[in-house]
Amino acid sequence: MASRLARSAVGAARLRPTISPRTLPAVSSLVTARNQSTQSNVPTTDPKTKAQSIIDALPGSNLLSKTAILSSAAGLSIYALSNEYYVVNEETVIAFCLLSVWTGLIKYGGPLYKEWAESQNNKIKNILNAARADHTQAVKNRIEDVKQMSEVVEITKSLFEVSKETARLEAEAYELEQRTALAAEAKNVLDSWVRYESQVKQRQQKELAEAVIAKVKKELENPKALDKILQQSVADVERIFASSKSQ
Amino acid sequence: MYTNFSAAGCMDNLSPLSQFEVRDLINIDTPVLLNLHISITNIGFYLTIGAFFLLVVNLLSTNYNKLVSNNWSISMESLYATIHSIVTNQINPKNGQIYFPFIYTLFIFILINNLIGMVPYSFASTSHFVLTFALSFTIVIGATILGFQKHGLKFFSLLVPAGCPLGLLPLLVLIEFISYLARNISLGLRLAANITAGHMLLHILSGFTYTIMSSGFVFFLLGLIPLSFIVAFSGLELAIAVIQAQVFVVLTSSYIKDGLDLH
Repeated sequence: MASRLARSAVGAARLRPTISPRTLPAVSSLVTARNQSTQSNVPTTDPKTKAQSIIDALPGSNLLSKTAILSSAAGLSIYALSNEYYVVNEETVIAFCLLSVWTGLIKYGGPLYKEWAESQNNKIKNILNAARADHTQAVKNRIEDVKQMSEVVEITKSLFEVSKETARLEAEAYELEQRTALAAEAKNVLDSWVRYESQVKQRQQKELAEAVIAKVKKELENPKALDKILQQSVADVERIFASSKSQ
Repeated sequence: MYTNFSAAGCMDNLSPLSQFEVRDLINIDTPVLLNLHISITNIGFYLTIGAFFLLVVNLLSTNYNKLVSNNWSISMESLYATIHSIVTNQINPKNGQIYFPFIYTLFIFILINNLIGMVPYSFASTSHFVLTFALSFTIVIGATILGFQKHGLKFFSLLVPAGCPLGLLPLLVLIEFISYLARNISLGLRLAANITAGHMLLHILSGFTYTIMSSGFVFFLLGLIPLSFIVAFSGLELAIAVIQAQVFVVLTSSYIKDGLDLH
Protein backbone atom coordinates (compact mmCIF):
# COMPACT_ATOMS: atom_id res chain seq x y z
CA MET A 1 0.00 0.00 0.00
CA ALA A 2 2.88 2.31 0.78
CA SER A 3 4.17 1.71 -2.73
CA ARG A 4 0.79 2.73 -4.10
CA LEU A 5 0.90 5.91 -2.06
CA ALA A 6 4.44 6.51 -3.19
CA ARG A 7 3.30 6.07 -6.76
CA SER A 8 0.42 8.46 -6.11
CA ALA A 9 2.82 10.92 -4.62
CA VAL A 10 5.04 10.54 -7.65
CA GLY A 11 2.00 11.05 -9.91
CA ALA A 12 1.03 14.12 -7.92
CA ALA A 13 4.56 15.39 -8.16
CA ARG A 14 4.47 15.00 -11.90
CA LEU A 15 1.20 16.87 -12.06
CA ARG A 16 2.36 19.67 -9.86
CA PRO A 17 5.49 21.45 -10.90
CA THR A 18 5.82 23.02 -7.43
CA ILE A 19 7.24 19.72 -6.15
CA SER A 20 10.84 19.42 -7.08
CA PRO A 21 11.58 16.64 -9.61
CA ARG A 22 14.77 15.81 -7.74
CA THR A 23 12.65 13.95 -5.23
CA LEU A 24 11.96 11.28 -7.84
CA PRO A 25 15.35 9.62 -8.04
CA ALA A 26 15.67 10.00 -4.29
CA VAL A 27 12.74 7.57 -3.80
CA SER A 28 14.57 4.54 -5.16
CA SER A 29 17.83 5.42 -3.50
CA LEU A 30 16.20 5.97 -0.14
CA VAL A 31 14.22 2.74 -0.36
CA THR A 32 17.37 0.83 -1.22
CA ALA A 33 19.22 2.51 1.61
CA ARG A 34 16.45 1.67 4.05
CA ASN A 35 16.39 -1.94 2.90
CA GLN A 36 20.11 -2.21 3.38
CA SER A 37 19.92 -0.67 6.83
CA THR A 38 17.07 -2.90 8.01
CA GLN A 39 18.51 -6.12 6.63
CA SER A 40 21.20 -6.22 9.24
CA ASN A 41 18.88 -5.95 12.23
CA VAL A 42 15.60 -7.61 11.25
CA PRO A 43 15.63 -11.40 10.76
CA THR A 44 14.81 -11.90 7.07
CA THR A 45 12.58 -14.60 5.61
CA ASP A 46 13.49 -16.68 2.60
CA PRO A 47 13.41 -14.36 -0.43
CA LYS A 48 11.81 -17.05 -2.58
CA THR A 49 8.97 -17.54 -0.12
CA LYS A 50 8.49 -13.81 0.23
CA ALA A 51 8.42 -13.37 -3.55
CA GLN A 52 5.97 -16.24 -3.94
CA SER A 53 3.70 -14.77 -1.28
CA ILE A 54 3.72 -11.40 -3.08
CA ILE A 55 2.90 -13.11 -6.38
CA ASP A 56 0.13 -15.11 -4.68
CA ALA A 57 -1.35 -11.93 -3.23
CA LEU A 58 -1.87 -10.52 -6.70
CA PRO A 59 -5.25 -11.10 -8.38
CA GLY A 60 -5.44 -13.80 -11.06
CA SER A 61 -5.22 -17.57 -11.25
CA ASN A 62 -1.84 -18.05 -12.96
CA LEU A 63 1.29 -16.05 -13.59
CA LEU A 64 0.13 -14.90 -17.02
CA SER A 65 -3.20 -13.55 -15.81
CA LYS A 66 -1.48 -11.97 -12.80
CA THR A 67 0.94 -10.20 -15.10
CA ALA A 68 -1.87 -9.14 -17.40
CA ILE A 69 -4.00 -7.79 -14.54
CA LEU A 70 -1.04 -6.00 -12.97
CA SER A 71 0.16 -4.45 -16.21
CA SER A 72 -3.36 -3.40 -17.26
CA ALA A 73 -4.00 -1.91 -13.82
CA ALA A 74 -0.70 -0.01 -14.01
CA GLY A 75 -1.45 1.12 -17.57
CA LEU A 76 -4.96 2.26 -16.67
CA SER A 77 -3.67 4.09 -13.59
CA ILE A 78 -1.06 5.90 -15.64
CA TYR A 79 -3.59 6.72 -18.33
CA ALA A 80 -6.16 8.00 -15.80
CA LEU A 81 -3.56 10.02 -13.91
CA SER A 82 -1.89 11.51 -16.98
CA ASN A 83 -5.21 12.56 -18.53
CA GLU A 84 -6.51 13.81 -15.18
CA TYR A 85 -9.41 11.39 -15.20
CA TYR A 86 -8.26 10.69 -11.68
CA VAL A 87 -6.64 13.44 -9.68
CA VAL A 88 -4.66 12.57 -6.58
CA ASN A 89 -5.68 14.94 -3.81
CA GLU A 90 -6.89 14.81 -0.20
CA GLU A 91 -9.93 12.82 -1.32
CA THR A 92 -7.48 10.06 -2.20
CA VAL A 93 -6.29 10.06 1.41
CA ILE A 94 -9.86 9.79 2.65
CA ALA A 95 -10.55 7.05 0.12
CA PHE A 96 -7.47 5.16 1.26
CA CYS A 97 -8.46 5.45 4.92
CA LEU A 98 -12.09 4.48 4.36
CA LEU A 99 -11.13 1.61 2.08
CA SER A 100 -8.62 0.45 4.70
CA VAL A 101 -11.37 0.43 7.31
CA TRP A 102 -13.82 -1.37 5.01
CA THR A 103 -11.13 -3.86 3.96
CA GLY A 104 -10.18 -4.50 7.57
CA LEU A 105 -13.81 -4.89 8.51
CA ILE A 106 -14.47 -7.33 5.67
CA LYS A 107 -11.21 -9.21 6.13
CA TYR A 108 -11.34 -9.60 9.91
CA GLY A 109 -15.02 -9.11 10.63
CA GLY A 110 -16.23 -11.24 7.71
CA PRO A 111 -14.88 -14.58 8.97
CA LEU A 112 -16.07 -13.77 12.49
CA TYR A 113 -19.54 -12.96 11.18
CA LYS A 114 -19.52 -16.09 9.03
CA GLU A 115 -18.52 -18.18 12.03
CA TRP A 116 -21.23 -16.59 14.16
CA ALA A 117 -23.87 -17.02 11.42
CA GLU A 118 -22.87 -20.64 10.92
CA SER A 119 -23.02 -21.27 14.66
CA GLN A 120 -26.50 -19.74 14.73
CA ASN A 121 -27.53 -21.87 11.77
CA ASN A 122 -26.02 -24.95 13.36
CA LYS A 123 -27.88 -24.18 16.58
CA ILE A 124 -31.15 -24.01 14.67
CA LYS A 125 -30.22 -27.11 12.65
CA ASN A 126 -29.38 -29.01 15.84
CA ILE A 127 -32.68 -28.02 17.40
CA LEU A 128 -34.54 -29.10 14.27
CA ASN A 129 -32.58 -32.35 13.99
CA ALA A 130 -33.15 -33.10 17.66
CA ALA A 131 -36.86 -32.38 17.22
CA ARG A 132 -36.93 -34.60 14.13
CA ALA A 133 -35.12 -37.40 15.96
CA ASP A 134 -37.49 -37.04 18.91
CA HIS A 135 -40.45 -37.17 16.58
CA THR A 136 -39.05 -40.22 14.78
CA GLN A 137 -38.48 -41.92 18.13
CA ALA A 138 -42.00 -41.03 19.25
CA VAL A 139 -43.43 -42.44 16.01
CA LYS A 140 -41.34 -45.60 16.43
CA ASN A 141 -42.55 -45.99 20.00
CA ARG A 142 -46.09 -45.52 18.83
CA ILE A 143 -45.54 -48.11 16.08
CA GLU A 144 -44.18 -50.51 18.67
CA ASP A 145 -47.15 -49.85 20.90
CA VAL A 146 -49.58 -50.35 18.07
CA LYS A 147 -47.73 -53.41 16.76
CA GLN A 148 -48.63 -55.22 19.96
CA MET A 149 -52.23 -54.72 19.04
CA SER A 150 -51.78 -55.77 15.42
CA GLU A 151 -53.55 -59.17 16.01
CA VAL A 152 -56.33 -57.54 17.88
CA VAL A 153 -58.87 -58.36 15.14
CA GLU A 154 -58.07 -62.05 15.14
CA ILE A 155 -57.99 -62.12 18.91
CA THR A 156 -61.28 -60.29 19.05
CA LYS A 157 -62.78 -62.72 16.56
CA SER A 158 -61.57 -65.72 18.54
CA LEU A 159 -62.73 -64.07 21.74
CA PHE A 160 -66.08 -63.54 20.13
CA GLU A 161 -66.17 -67.20 19.12
CA VAL A 162 -65.20 -68.19 22.63
CA SER A 163 -67.84 -65.90 24.06
CA LYS A 164 -70.40 -67.39 21.68
CA GLU A 165 -69.35 -70.91 22.73
CA THR A 166 -69.46 -69.84 26.35
CA ALA A 167 -72.92 -68.43 25.89
CA ARG A 168 -74.03 -71.60 24.16
CA LEU A 169 -72.53 -73.77 26.91
CA GLU A 170 -74.05 -71.55 29.53
CA ALA A 171 -77.40 -71.95 27.82
CA GLU A 172 -76.95 -75.72 27.72
CA ALA A 173 -75.80 -75.77 31.32
CA TYR A 174 -78.82 -73.72 32.30
CA GLU A 175 -81.06 -76.05 30.41
CA LEU A 176 -79.44 -79.04 32.04
CA GLU A 177 -79.64 -77.36 35.36
CA GLN A 178 -83.30 -76.76 34.83
CA ARG A 179 -83.78 -80.34 33.78
CA THR A 180 -81.84 -81.56 36.78
CA ALA A 181 -83.89 -79.30 39.00
CA LEU A 182 -87.07 -80.61 37.43
CA ALA A 183 -85.90 -84.18 37.78
CA ALA A 184 -84.92 -83.56 41.38
CA GLU A 185 -88.27 -81.96 42.00
CA ALA A 186 -90.03 -84.91 40.38
CA LYS A 187 -87.90 -87.32 42.35
CA ASN A 188 -88.71 -85.52 45.54
CA VAL A 189 -92.39 -85.62 44.70
CA LEU A 190 -92.18 -89.30 43.81
CA ASP A 191 -90.13 -90.08 46.91
CA SER A 192 -92.67 -88.30 49.01
CA TRP A 193 -95.33 -90.30 47.30
CA VAL A 194 -93.41 -93.52 47.94
CA ARG A 195 -92.90 -92.57 51.54
CA TYR A 196 -96.54 -91.69 51.84
CA GLU A 197 -97.55 -94.97 50.24
CA SER A 198 -95.23 -96.98 52.45
CA GLN A 199 -96.53 -95.19 55.49
CA VAL A 200 -100.09 -95.86 54.39
CA LYS A 201 -99.18 -99.49 53.78
CA GLN A 202 -97.45 -99.82 57.13
CA ARG A 203 -100.39 -98.21 58.82
CA GLN A 204 -102.79 -100.56 57.03
CA GLN A 205 -100.63 -103.57 57.89
CA LYS A 206 -100.40 -102.40 61.43
CA GLU A 207 -104.11 -101.86 61.56
CA LEU A 208 -104.66 -105.25 59.97
CA ALA A 209 -102.28 -106.93 62.34
CA GLU A 210 -103.89 -105.19 65.24
CA ALA A 211 -107.31 -106.17 63.94
CA VAL A 212 -106.21 -109.81 63.51
CA ILE A 213 -104.57 -109.89 66.91
CA ALA A 214 -107.64 -108.30 68.42
CA LYS A 215 -109.79 -110.77 66.64
CA VAL A 216 -107.60 -113.65 67.69
CA LYS A 217 -107.54 -112.38 71.19
CA LYS A 218 -111.27 -112.09 71.05
CA GLU A 219 -111.52 -115.56 69.63
CA LEU A 220 -109.23 -116.84 72.33
CA GLU A 221 -111.53 -115.46 74.87
CA ASN A 222 -114.23 -117.63 73.38
CA PRO A 223 -114.04 -121.20 74.86
CA LYS A 224 -115.48 -122.69 71.78
CA ALA A 225 -112.87 -121.25 69.72
CA LEU A 226 -110.21 -122.37 72.14
CA ASP A 227 -111.60 -125.87 71.95
CA LYS A 228 -111.67 -125.73 68.28
CA ILE A 229 -108.07 -124.57 68.21
CA LEU A 230 -107.09 -127.17 70.63
CA GLN A 231 -108.80 -129.86 68.62
CA GLN A 232 -107.25 -128.54 65.51
CA SER A 233 -103.86 -128.49 67.14
CA VAL A 234 -104.27 -132.04 68.42
CA ALA A 235 -105.42 -133.15 65.03
CA ASP A 236 -102.38 -131.45 63.48
CA VAL A 237 -100.05 -133.07 65.99
CA GLU A 238 -101.56 -136.42 65.39
CA ARG A 239 -101.27 -135.97 61.68
CA ILE A 240 -97.69 -134.88 61.99
CA PHE A 241 -96.96 -137.70 64.31
CA ALA A 242 -98.79 -140.12 62.03
CA SER A 243 -96.86 -138.86 59.04
CA SER A 244 -93.57 -139.09 60.84
CA LYS A 245 -94.38 -142.53 62.03
CA SER A 246 -95.34 -143.73 58.59
CA GLN A 247 -92.15 -142.55 57.26
CA MET B 1 -35.78 22.23 -24.20
CA TYR B 2 -32.31 21.28 -23.25
CA THR B 3 -30.76 18.83 -20.89
CA ASN B 4 -27.80 19.72 -18.78
CA PHE B 5 -25.52 16.95 -17.54
CA SER B 6 -23.16 18.28 -14.94
CA ALA B 7 -20.35 16.49 -13.16
CA ALA B 8 -20.98 15.51 -9.55
CA GLY B 9 -17.57 16.29 -8.24
CA CYS B 10 -16.01 19.68 -8.44
CA MET B 11 -12.41 18.98 -7.52
CA ASP B 12 -11.26 22.56 -7.77
CA ASN B 13 -13.30 23.60 -4.78
CA LEU B 14 -11.64 21.85 -1.87
CA SER B 15 -13.53 23.47 1.01
CA PRO B 16 -14.46 20.92 3.72
CA LEU B 17 -18.09 21.89 3.21
CA SER B 18 -18.00 21.41 -0.55
CA GLN B 19 -18.64 17.70 -0.12
CA PHE B 20 -22.10 18.48 1.29
CA GLU B 21 -23.16 20.71 -1.57
CA VAL B 22 -26.33 19.59 -3.30
CA ARG B 23 -25.79 19.67 -7.05
CA ASP B 24 -27.84 18.71 -10.04
CA LEU B 25 -26.64 15.56 -11.71
CA ILE B 26 -29.28 15.61 -14.42
CA ASN B 27 -31.19 18.81 -14.90
CA ILE B 28 -34.08 19.22 -17.29
CA ASP B 29 -35.39 22.76 -17.84
CA THR B 30 -38.50 22.77 -19.96
CA PRO B 31 -40.88 25.62 -20.77
CA VAL B 32 -43.83 23.41 -19.85
CA LEU B 33 -45.70 22.80 -16.60
CA LEU B 34 -45.01 26.36 -15.41
CA ASN B 35 -41.28 25.97 -16.14
CA LEU B 36 -41.06 23.13 -13.67
CA HIS B 37 -37.50 22.47 -12.62
CA ILE B 38 -36.96 18.71 -12.92
CA SER B 39 -33.61 17.47 -11.77
CA ILE B 40 -31.87 14.56 -10.13
CA THR B 41 -29.61 15.94 -7.45
CA ASN B 42 -26.76 14.09 -5.81
CA ILE B 43 -28.79 13.64 -2.59
CA GLY B 44 -31.70 12.22 -4.58
CA PHE B 45 -29.34 9.96 -6.49
CA TYR B 46 -27.72 8.58 -3.33
CA LEU B 47 -31.08 8.13 -1.61
CA THR B 48 -32.16 6.15 -4.67
CA ILE B 49 -28.98 4.10 -4.44
CA GLY B 50 -29.79 3.48 -0.77
CA ALA B 51 -33.29 2.31 -1.64
CA PHE B 52 -31.92 0.05 -4.37
CA PHE B 53 -29.27 -1.32 -2.02
CA LEU B 54 -31.93 -2.05 0.60
CA LEU B 55 -34.03 -3.79 -2.02
CA VAL B 56 -31.08 -5.97 -3.05
CA VAL B 57 -30.16 -6.77 0.55
CA ASN B 58 -33.73 -7.70 1.36
CA LEU B 59 -33.99 -9.83 -1.75
CA LEU B 60 -30.73 -11.56 -0.84
CA SER B 61 -31.92 -12.14 2.67
CA THR B 62 -35.31 -13.49 1.63
CA ASN B 63 -35.56 -16.81 3.31
CA TYR B 64 -38.37 -18.33 1.27
CA ASN B 65 -39.92 -19.65 4.49
CA LYS B 66 -36.95 -21.88 5.17
CA LEU B 67 -36.36 -22.54 8.84
CA VAL B 68 -32.58 -22.50 8.51
CA SER B 69 -31.59 -19.14 7.09
CA ASN B 70 -28.66 -18.13 4.94
CA ASN B 71 -25.94 -15.75 6.11
CA TRP B 72 -27.68 -12.70 4.63
CA SER B 73 -30.94 -13.59 6.23
CA ILE B 74 -29.46 -14.15 9.65
CA SER B 75 -27.97 -10.64 9.62
CA MET B 76 -31.40 -9.16 8.86
CA GLU B 77 -32.97 -11.38 11.49
CA SER B 78 -30.51 -10.19 14.13
CA LEU B 79 -31.11 -6.58 13.06
CA TYR B 80 -34.85 -7.24 13.32
CA ALA B 81 -34.43 -8.70 16.81
CA THR B 82 -32.31 -5.72 17.90
CA ILE B 83 -34.84 -3.14 16.75
CA HIS B 84 -37.67 -5.21 18.14
CA SER B 85 -36.04 -5.20 21.56
CA ILE B 86 -35.56 -1.41 21.33
CA VAL B 87 -39.23 -0.92 20.46
CA THR B 88 -40.54 -3.24 23.15
CA ASN B 89 -38.24 -1.79 25.79
CA GLN B 90 -38.80 1.84 24.91
CA ILE B 91 -42.48 2.00 24.00
CA ASN B 92 -44.42 -0.91 25.37
CA PRO B 93 -44.05 -4.68 25.00
CA LYS B 94 -47.73 -4.93 24.04
CA ASN B 95 -48.85 -1.64 22.46
CA GLY B 96 -45.48 -0.77 20.97
CA GLN B 97 -45.57 -3.63 18.48
CA ILE B 98 -47.59 -1.69 15.89
CA TYR B 99 -44.86 0.97 15.67
CA PHE B 100 -42.16 -1.62 15.00
CA PRO B 101 -42.38 -1.52 11.16
CA PHE B 102 -42.00 2.28 11.21
CA ILE B 103 -39.09 2.20 13.65
CA TYR B 104 -37.36 -0.61 11.75
CA THR B 105 -37.75 1.22 8.43
CA LEU B 106 -36.41 4.40 9.99
CA PHE B 107 -33.39 2.60 11.44
CA ILE B 108 -32.49 0.77 8.27
CA PHE B 109 -32.97 3.93 6.18
CA ILE B 110 -30.68 6.01 8.38
CA LEU B 111 -28.13 3.21 8.80
CA ILE B 112 -27.84 2.50 5.09
CA ASN B 113 -27.57 6.17 4.18
CA ASN B 114 -24.96 6.71 6.91
CA LEU B 115 -22.96 3.75 5.58
CA ILE B 116 -23.28 4.91 1.98
CA GLY B 117 -21.78 8.20 3.16
CA MET B 118 -18.81 6.19 4.39
CA VAL B 119 -18.04 4.90 0.90
CA PRO B 120 -15.21 6.88 -0.74
CA TYR B 121 -16.28 9.53 -3.26
CA SER B 122 -19.92 9.12 -2.27
CA PHE B 123 -22.31 11.53 -0.64
CA ALA B 124 -23.64 11.54 2.93
CA SER B 125 -27.38 12.15 2.56
CA THR B 126 -27.96 12.12 6.32
CA SER B 127 -25.55 15.02 6.80
CA HIS B 128 -28.22 17.28 5.32
CA PHE B 129 -30.44 19.10 7.75
CA VAL B 130 -33.20 19.24 5.18
CA LEU B 131 -33.44 15.45 5.30
CA THR B 132 -32.94 14.96 9.04
CA PHE B 133 -35.22 17.86 9.99
CA ALA B 134 -37.88 16.51 7.66
CA LEU B 135 -37.64 13.23 9.52
CA SER B 136 -37.51 14.73 13.01
CA PHE B 137 -40.34 17.22 12.47
CA THR B 138 -42.51 14.49 10.95
CA ILE B 139 -41.83 12.17 13.84
CA VAL B 140 -42.40 14.70 16.63
CA ILE B 141 -45.53 16.14 15.01
CA GLY B 142 -46.78 12.60 14.38
CA ALA B 143 -46.17 11.66 18.03
CA THR B 144 -48.01 14.83 19.11
CA ILE B 145 -51.00 13.99 16.89
CA LEU B 146 -50.93 10.49 18.35
CA GLY B 147 -51.00 11.93 21.86
CA PHE B 148 -53.92 14.25 21.06
CA GLN B 149 -55.77 11.42 19.35
CA LYS B 150 -55.40 9.17 22.36
CA HIS B 151 -55.69 11.61 25.27
CA GLY B 152 -57.42 14.67 23.84
CA LEU B 153 -56.65 17.84 25.77
CA LYS B 154 -55.23 15.76 28.64
CA PHE B 155 -52.17 15.43 26.44
CA PHE B 156 -51.11 18.84 27.79
CA SER B 157 -50.49 17.16 31.15
CA LEU B 158 -47.27 16.01 29.52
CA LEU B 159 -46.02 19.54 30.06
CA VAL B 160 -46.69 19.41 33.82
CA PRO B 161 -43.94 17.69 35.77
CA ALA B 162 -45.10 15.39 38.58
CA GLY B 163 -45.08 16.97 42.05
CA CYS B 164 -44.59 20.47 40.72
CA PRO B 165 -45.32 23.37 43.16
CA LEU B 166 -48.22 25.52 41.96
CA GLY B 167 -46.16 28.70 42.02
CA LEU B 168 -43.57 27.31 39.68
CA LEU B 169 -46.12 25.71 37.38
CA PRO B 170 -46.30 28.43 34.68
CA LEU B 171 -42.54 28.62 34.42
CA LEU B 172 -42.07 24.85 34.34
CA VAL B 173 -44.83 24.39 31.79
CA LEU B 174 -43.15 27.00 29.61
CA ILE B 175 -39.78 25.24 29.97
CA GLU B 176 -41.33 21.85 29.26
CA PHE B 177 -43.12 23.29 26.23
CA ILE B 178 -39.88 24.74 24.86
CA SER B 179 -38.17 21.45 25.61
CA TYR B 180 -40.93 19.61 23.74
CA LEU B 181 -40.59 21.93 20.76
CA ALA B 182 -36.81 21.54 20.85
CA ARG B 183 -37.22 17.85 20.17
CA ASN B 184 -38.03 18.76 16.60
CA ILE B 185 -34.66 20.38 16.20
CA SER B 186 -32.52 18.22 18.47
CA LEU B 187 -33.50 14.91 16.91
CA GLY B 188 -32.56 15.98 13.38
CA LEU B 189 -29.69 18.16 14.46
CA ARG B 190 -27.99 15.36 16.38
CA LEU B 191 -27.87 13.05 13.38
CA ALA B 192 -26.89 15.59 10.75
CA ALA B 193 -24.35 17.32 13.01
CA ASN B 194 -22.64 14.04 13.89
CA ILE B 195 -22.38 12.94 10.29
CA THR B 196 -21.32 16.38 9.06
CA ALA B 197 -18.75 16.77 11.81
CA GLY B 198 -17.29 13.35 11.14
CA HIS B 199 -16.98 13.91 7.42
CA MET B 200 -15.57 17.39 7.89
CA LEU B 201 -13.05 16.11 10.39
CA LEU B 202 -11.89 13.44 7.98
CA HIS B 203 -11.74 15.97 5.16
CA ILE B 204 -9.73 18.54 7.13
CA LEU B 205 -7.32 15.94 8.54
CA SER B 206 -6.83 14.36 5.13
CA GLY B 207 -6.17 17.81 3.65
CA PHE B 208 -3.41 18.37 6.20
CA THR B 209 -2.05 14.88 5.69
CA TYR B 210 -2.09 15.23 1.94
CA THR B 211 -0.20 18.50 2.16
CA ILE B 212 2.37 16.90 4.44
CA MET B 213 2.74 13.75 2.36
CA SER B 214 3.09 15.56 -0.93
CA SER B 215 5.90 17.74 0.35
CA GLY B 216 8.68 15.20 -0.09
CA PHE B 217 9.61 11.66 0.69
CA VAL B 218 10.54 12.27 4.31
CA PHE B 219 7.31 14.14 4.81
CA PHE B 220 5.51 11.32 3.05
CA LEU B 221 6.83 8.93 5.68
CA LEU B 222 5.98 11.39 8.44
CA GLY B 223 2.50 11.68 6.99
CA LEU B 224 1.90 8.01 7.72
CA ILE B 225 1.45 8.94 11.39
CA PRO B 226 -1.54 11.28 10.85
CA LEU B 227 -2.75 8.83 8.18
CA SER B 228 -3.05 6.15 10.85
CA PHE B 229 -5.08 8.60 12.94
CA ILE B 230 -7.40 9.20 10.00
CA VAL B 231 -7.82 5.44 9.59
CA ALA B 232 -8.75 5.27 13.27
CA PHE B 233 -11.17 8.17 12.87
CA SER B 234 -12.68 6.41 9.85
CA GLY B 235 -13.32 3.39 12.05
CA LEU B 236 -14.86 5.69 14.62
CA GLU B 237 -17.06 7.23 11.94
CA LEU B 238 -18.23 3.78 10.97
CA ALA B 239 -19.23 3.15 14.58
CA ILE B 240 -20.91 6.58 14.75
CA ALA B 241 -22.91 5.74 11.62
CA VAL B 242 -24.43 2.76 13.43
CA ILE B 243 -24.74 4.44 16.82
CA GLN B 244 -26.50 7.53 15.43
CA ALA B 245 -29.05 5.37 13.62
CA GLN B 246 -29.72 3.56 16.87
CA VAL B 247 -29.91 6.77 18.90
CA PHE B 248 -32.36 8.22 16.39
CA VAL B 249 -34.77 5.28 16.68
CA VAL B 250 -34.40 5.05 20.46
CA LEU B 251 -35.40 8.72 20.78
CA THR B 252 -38.20 8.27 18.23
CA SER B 253 -39.53 5.37 20.31
CA SER B 254 -39.25 7.52 23.43
CA TYR B 255 -41.26 10.35 21.82
CA ILE B 256 -43.93 7.92 20.66
CA LYS B 257 -44.10 6.53 24.18
CA ASP B 258 -44.60 10.05 25.55
CA GLY B 259 -47.52 10.44 23.17
CA LEU B 260 -49.01 7.10 24.20
CA ASP B 261 -48.40 7.09 27.95
CA LEU B 262 -48.37 10.50 29.59
CA HIS B 263 -45.94 10.63 32.49
